Amino acid sequence: MSQESAGAPLLPGANPEVAVPAIALRKLTKRFGATLAVDAIDLDIPAGSFYGVVGPNGAGKTTSLSMATGLMTPDSGTAYIHGVNLWTAPDEAKRMLGVLPDGLHSFDRLTGAELISYAGLLRGMDRGTVLERRDDLLAALDLDSAGRTLVTDYSAGMTKKISLACALVHAPRVLVLDEPFEAVDPVSAGAIRRILTAFVQSGGTVVMSSHVMALVERLCDRVAVIGGGQILAEGTLDEVRGGRELEDRFVDLIGDVADKRDLTWLRQS
Amino acid sequence: MVASVLAVKFRTQRHVLERERWRILIVIGGALWMLVLLPWTFWGASALTGESSEFRQDVLVGVVLLLTLGWVSVPILITGLDDTLDPGRFASFGVSARRIMAGLTVAALLTIPVAFFVVFFLILTSVWRDGGAGAVTVAIAGALLTVLSLVFVARVAAMWSTRVLASRLARGAAIAMIAVGLALVAPLAWVLFSDGLDAVLENYLVVFLDQAAVTPLGAGMSAPNAAAAGDWWGVAWRLGEQVLWVLVLWGAWRANVTHALVHPKFRGAGTRRREDTIIASAQRSRIRGVLPPMSVAATAVRSRLLRYWFSDPRYLANMMGVFVFPVVFIALVMPVTGLDVRWSFAAPVLLAASIGWGRHNDVAYDSSALWLDVVSGRIGTDVLRGRMSAIVAWALPATLVACAAIVMWSGLWHIAPALVGACVGVLGLTLGVAAVSSVLFPYRAPAPGENPLGAEVGSVGAGLVAQLVSSTATVVLLPLVIVPLVLALAVDPRWAWLACAAGFAMGPIAYIAGVRVAGRAYDSRAGRLLAAVT
Repeated sequence: MSQESAGAPLLPGANPEVAVPAIALRKLTKRFGATLAVDAIDLDIPAGSFYGVVGPNGAGKTTSLSMATGLMTPDSGTAYIHGVNLWTAPDEAKRMLGVLPDGLHSFDRLTGAELISYAGLLRGMDRGTVLERRDDLLAALDLDSAGRTLVTDYSAGMTKKISLACALVHAPRVLVLDEPFEAVDPVSAGAIRRILTAFVQSGGTVVMSSHVMALVERLCDRVAVIGGGQILAEGTLDEVRGGRELEDRFVDLIGDVADKRDLTWLRQS
Repeated sequence: MVASVLAVKFRTQRHVLERERWRILIVIGGALWMLVLLPWTFWGASALTGESSEFRQDVLVGVVLLLTLGWVSVPILITGLDDTLDPGRFASFGVSARRIMAGLTVAALLTIPVAFFVVFFLILTSVWRDGGAGAVTVAIAGALLTVLSLVFVARVAAMWSTRVLASRLARGAAIAMIAVGLALVAPLAWVLFSDGLDAVLENYLVVFLDQAAVTPLGAGMSAPNAAAAGDWWGVAWRLGEQVLWVLVLWGAWRANVTHALVHPKFRGAGTRRREDTIIASAQRSRIRGVLPPMSVAATAVRSRLLRYWFSDPRYLANMMGVFVFPVVFIALVMPVTGLDVRWSFAAPVLLAASIGWGRHNDVAYDSSALWLDVVSGRIGTDVLRGRMSAIVAWALPATLVACAAIVMWSGLWHIAPALVGACVGVLGLTLGVAAVSSVLFPYRAPAPGENPLGAEVGSVGAGLVAQLVSSTATVVLLPLVIVPLVLALAVDPRWAWLACAAGFAMGPIAYIAGVRVAGRAYDSRAGRLLAAVT
């Protein structure tokens, strides 16, 4: 699996001539009982890319991203963050990662401002820097008026935004965002798009899962289609869609709904 | 609708048992335990048959009062209420309380404990054989109504306490519930201590049971006595009262279900806080001298947990629970059993042990929110240090206040160092064990915003391994700090200083070692913790 070096365990076989990928997944596998959720995935996500991960519900996107960020131990295989083995050198690897998971709770008895401060302090940042970035993030994500409200009182979209702020506060090199635009209003979505685009332009890497193909086409320069726990297609946006709309290509790869029943009973007249 | 609700209940239970087959053993074990109790019930019933009718009535009323206490307190304090049929889960289907209540009622009655208690009370009806068929028939009616009362009173108590705890007034409500509990126990304790158990049994208990017999709590059990005496108006009045009580309880339950159907969870009133206490804690972490310095991350975790301890209903419910055993011991067990005043020293020790052992699943209370801790690096030791120090922040003062109160009350000042030492030792040891257990054997706890008294199907056995391991470790380690206290109390007061030294040495050592071991385990299990607690 991994070739250990004297310092942090590094990506084996990495060619010094070629840039080390921001995230490299090697034979990543996860099984839940009889279900093979992720089937020995190999994937390189180039540094400086805005990378889209798409796939139908239950395809293994969240499981793959969880294993790539240290939230879930893989059955086998490993993940490298800028060449550092996440599972044997988590300290160094996690420092480079900013993570926004989907569908998990937040520490909802804290206010929005406190949650950002908490995320910053956990990362070992000094108080002054946390304070400054906290206020910047609250303003940038249009949360400054909600900063003093408990997260338990937030709407789904606000919770998403505050979790994104937690992922950004330590200025990571790689952002892994699971459905970052879900439930977010159009104005805030515009602000998030601008933040993420500027982040990539400055050399950062964004990995984003989404079900909204138009959004992936608009933002991402590379994309991977996951289905049945495997990578079905991967490459630049143009390579994957092959001159067609991404959604059509996606349906081709995944297959349309097999049983097209006509719900006549649903019609109003 | 009844069939649909029952189908949901039984299918959910079947799926849970299929997924975690070991739980079947818990169900079988519980059923066997209940079966073992039945021969004893027969023996008790036959022993009672030869007694006077008044005595029989008093015993049966007493049994029902104790069972009522059990049915009310066990779901609230220990097991949680099975939330498979939590009415809130039906909210999105747009069904009315009227339509689902029948299903919920039947489902609440079709459980193993209810089946056991029906058989238990039916066996006890044989006590009235000598009163003729009429008395036995009345006894059967009274028994069935009593079981209905027990089932409904448990639902009402658990749902109302949940509702109060889940409200914005949770903190005040928790304090009020403790105060009401103490107010109920205090007069009894006072009478027991001042008059002694024999006098209480002689003078008060019979009067109390006679009074209880005409209340809805005991009416079902006293009706057959009236029937045996030929007082049929008395029978009608008592059974009518019992029926009315069942209807009132059912109505209260229904009112709660109606409320739950139209009041979704997770919505608050927009509490605002001016100060960012987390960032303020980073400032405080630099203050050296009084306490050993903690890292900024550990201080942030402590600050967060302190907020949870004093505002999250799940933590408040836990905090309330730890006072139950010590209060019951000192206010009821001691006077009833006529224990020597030295036994009162057990109460603060019990408090420290309840607090420490009770945290054996501490990490799981973060639920899936612990992702933020996990992605932040290898900070397991900081996380555990912060978590545990937040507990110490309220547990140590509470325990010391209890020590001071007991020493002042008992007047055994010369044993005070032993008591304080033992309590510090017990708190440190149990928290150390709890820290390790909560990382190595976490099990699902109510998630943030969920019913703090809720429990998933078969939850009694859910944390069996964790409870077994932490209990065993606690039992093995505690004598190290408790034995010197016992020697100081029973043999020679000079042991007090050794007890003090042992507690102050071993408590902090066990605490620090526990936090360190747990912290390392947290880091190595980081990728599995999330799945284990959700």
